[in-house]
Amino acid sequence: MRRQFVNDPADLVNEALEGFEAAQRGRIRWNRDPSYVVRADSGRRRGKVALVSGGGSGHEPLHVGYVGPGMLDAAVPGAVFASPTAIQIQAASRAADSGGGVVHIVKNYTGDVLNFRIAAELLEDDGIRAEAVFVDDDVASDTGDGEGPGRRGTAAVIAVEKLCGAAAERGDDLDEIVALGRRITSGARTFSVALAAGAHPGQGRPSFDLADDEIEFGVGIHGERARQRHPFAPVRDLVPEMVDRVRDPLGLGRGEHVIAIVNGLGSTHDLELYAIHRELVQVLAKEGIVIDRALVGTYLTSLDMAGCSITLIRSDDDLVDLWDAPVSTPALTW
Amino acid sequence: MTTGFTPAQTSQWVDGFIATVERAEPELTDLDRRSGDGDFGTNMTTALRRTRDALVRNPPRDLGDPFETMSTTFLSYSGGTSGPLFGMWFREFAKAARGGEEFGVGELTEATANGLATIQRLGSAKVGDRTMVDAIAPAAEALERARSDGADLAGAVDAALEAAQRGAKGTSELLGRKGRSSYVGEAALGAADPGALTIALFFQAARVVVGRRSG
Repeated sequence: MRRQFVNDPADLVNEALEGFEAAQRGRIRWNRDPSYVVRADSGRRRGKVALVSGGGSGHEPLHVGYVGPGMLDAAVPGAVFASPTAIQIQAASRAADSGGGVVHIVKNYTGDVLNFRIAAELLEDDGIRAEAVFVDDDVASDTGDGEGPGRRGTAAVIAVEKLCGAAAERGDDLDEIVALGRRITSGARTFSVALAAGAHPGQGRPSFDLADDEIEFGVGIHGERARQRHPFAPVRDLVPEMVDRVRDPLGLGRGEHVIAIVNGLGSTHDLELYAIHRELVQVLAKEGIVIDRALVGTYLTSLDMAGCSITLIRSDDDLVDLWDAPVSTPALTW
Repeated sequence: MTTGFTPAQTSQWVDGFIATVERAEPELTDLDRRSGDGDFGTNMTTALRRTRDALVRNPPRDLGDPFETMSTTFLSYSGGTSGPLFGMWFREFAKAARGGEEFGVGELTEATANGLATIQRLGSAKVGDRTMVDAIAPAAEALERARSDGADLAGAVDAALEAAQRGAKGTSELLGRKGRSSYVGEAALGAADPGALTIALFFQAARVVVGRRSG
């Protein structure tokens, strides 16, 4: 039996957004209807390309936690695990635009892709140019046949938002940022595992059950099961297998550089995540792959799922500079 | 002889469409249960009820307003994928009608052709994929023919309705390749696609307003 801190589950997303806004001391504004979150600071340069992301709720701190200088200008939250509507995305993009056009950063799911594409058409009529970067880093959903919806978007979206956000602050134009986003995405893969599924707000049961001796291997972030179960094992055995899944499709070899993200999926403790990162460092060192930068913590969740993901992103000097550029958002700051 | 829908008639068309879909909800829901996840009828009627409320709050003033309100409501509130696509379909009717004095055969043909192009572009569905495109594409063809034959409004609407109904009925023999029904495969055979059927209901509501072909 799971329990959550909720009043009426149907009100949870809006109540959370109200609390989120109250915690930001006026730096971020939440527009209730249509619902979106937008930077309210005065530091935005006229003509800066605006970055807007969005998707279902239940993945916090994604995406609202990444609104602020150096990252997103606006984020559009849908209901739990449901795409925001095109009208929400259009309104958020209008609010975020400062004359330089808008880049939409979209995790690759059918509903999100459709609603962002529709929003881009609506924005065209408003005289605002909007181009999308679709993030599709999840290895487990790669069917390899080019049919169907394609790979899902997961934790690589954090890197795309951070790096493109830095590029927008330094004055890159819309086409450059879109090209950068697509380059990052094509060089990024993620693999996720779960020890236990998350439970929807107000529901006592998680979305699937797992035996004590198995883990979900290649799990998604919307409560859907993986294609594979895997025997439960210590991290020293699990991490090398996860790394294999990510490294092979990228074709990473000796001497190549990466940015690594070890992400908790909701209820996995930082102690475990750092232990996972330790294994990752050792595995990559053995293979001669250089970790330029790493992010370890809880950045994209699937409600209260117990699990983690490992993301590797091909890196170079330009990406490292963009990674190191200052960022000041509720969930990522340096 | 009418040459086009007047502003009062585009309002009647949209009001009639809302009432028709509400009456058909049990059938649409049942079809969707056999080919998808069973929420199509409810999602449609919820969005249409909000459209009716919005039209009461802001009565239409322009020829295109009823379509515009319906489009915005679908794009604002309806989840999933068919809701937003219907929003874009109605939007082409709003665009073709906006600022005009009447909505004639030319506007109807243009809106249907543009609606088809928009939905195919956004939903990447082709004819035969068992979606709303299977009703829209034959209606668009029928309207092009009607326009070049110089048909009057009633004749054009009749032709579009007949083609859309035939296309919608035909989906019951198709295997889904896009949309929800792609997950259930052969289990959906024998049941028409509720999205395609709703397009036919849209033209049916238009015909009620213009009346049958006079001869």
